[in-house]
Amino acid sequence: MSSATNPMEQFAITTIHPLSVFGQNVSFTNSALWMLIALGIVATFLIVGTMKPQMVPGRWQAAVEYMYDFVLGVVDENIGPKGKAYVPLIFSVFVFVLACNLLGMIPWVGSFTPTSHIAVTLALALIVFAIVLVVGFVKHGLHFLTFFWPKGMAWPLALFIMPIEVVSFFVRPFTLAIRLFANMTAGHVLLKVFGTFVVALGSFGALPYVFGVVPLAVNVALSALELLIALIQAYVFALLASIYLNDAINLH
Amino acid sequence: MPQFEPGNFIPQMAWLVVAFAILYFVIVRSTLPRLGRTIDARTNQILGDLDSAQQAKTEADRMQAEYDAGVASAQDKARARLAEARTGSAKVIEAKLAESNAVLHDKAEAAQASLDAARAKAVGEIEAIAADAAAGIVEKLTGTRPADSDATSAARAALG
Repeated sequence: MSSATNPMEQFAITTIHPLSVFGQNVSFTNSALWMLIALGIVATFLIVGTMKPQMVPGRWQAAVEYMYDFVLGVVDENIGPKGKAYVPLIFSVFVFVLACNLLGMIPWVGSFTPTSHIAVTLALALIVFAIVLVVGFVKHGLHFLTFFWPKGMAWPLALFIMPIEVVSFFVRPFTLAIRLFANMTAGHVLLKVFGTFVVALGSFGALPYVFGVVPLAVNVALSALELLIALIQAYVFALLASIYLNDAINLH
Repeated sequence: MPQFEPGNFIPQMAWLVVAFAILYFVIVRSTLPRLGRTIDARTNQILGDLDSAQQAKTEADRMQAEYDAGVASAQDKARARLAEARTGSAKVIEAKLAESNAVLHDKAEAAQASLDAARAKAVGEIEAIAADAAAGIVEKLTGTRPADSDATSAARAALG
């Protein structure tokens, strides 16, 4: 299989500018480039939208406000009034994941989806997890450890449940990372596979259009689905981040 | 899969941390609070507007009630004055009626008295004439004229 038809080729990391800090390789890659593009788009969106905040918002401001309201709703529902301080964090997570997801949907050979790399999603999930731990221990001290002790349960049973609670807690960043990465990767592989079908069947004998059109139609439908998934996964990431934060803020 | 190549991990994670830190500390921290303040100000303004509208409505209601009360008291006053005027005029009419009744009564009594006197006088004259005629008739028949007193009593008995 040549590299042009390899569905994994789109995830290849290419070094744009080699860089090393303290002997550690932190080269500027295409992944980093697309993260910065996402950052630039989000920054433009936010800065233009809040440049001159007005009582009656213009289009940009209304768009930013809509997104802000959405995140505010998620945080309010899951954390409550104490979650107000974490709205910027959840907002950042949401817009960053959303921008990275959507940038990958550009139907261009050079486009890259940072969130299709587990390194990126895991780093983001670990940031969220670290914040949850810090918030938990700062707010409740060592009392935060009672989170692992199932409430209102007879102690012999709780003794068995506790290890499960511990494991399910520490596995959170990984499930959070893998969910996003797997969704993005699977979607893009599927698009690429059907893309190769279009080429392969399109050059197939006497009836190229008949055979080529079918996978093309599938790809169009898949693109719509992938747009939906890009949005839903960003929402799920932000939602789970706020649910995890809630555990640390409002200890049961 | 390029995703699972260990060499790809550290550079991407480092750049994600950089990008996310810039996003959170520089971009979001400088823009979102401004938006939040605007939204709060808008909410407050709307609440304030609703409040002043409520106050204006209360004031309007109060004025309406005042106006209604004024109309009602004016009506009551007018009604009272009307009743007063009615009783006043009724009293005046009654007094005038009584006065004219008394005058009429006096006149009727005087008239009655003069009538009675005239009647008595007429009756007396008729008696005298009848007695005189009866005495004349008796004189013509018997040749002797009866005594005046007899003729008078006989005439009075005959006239009833």
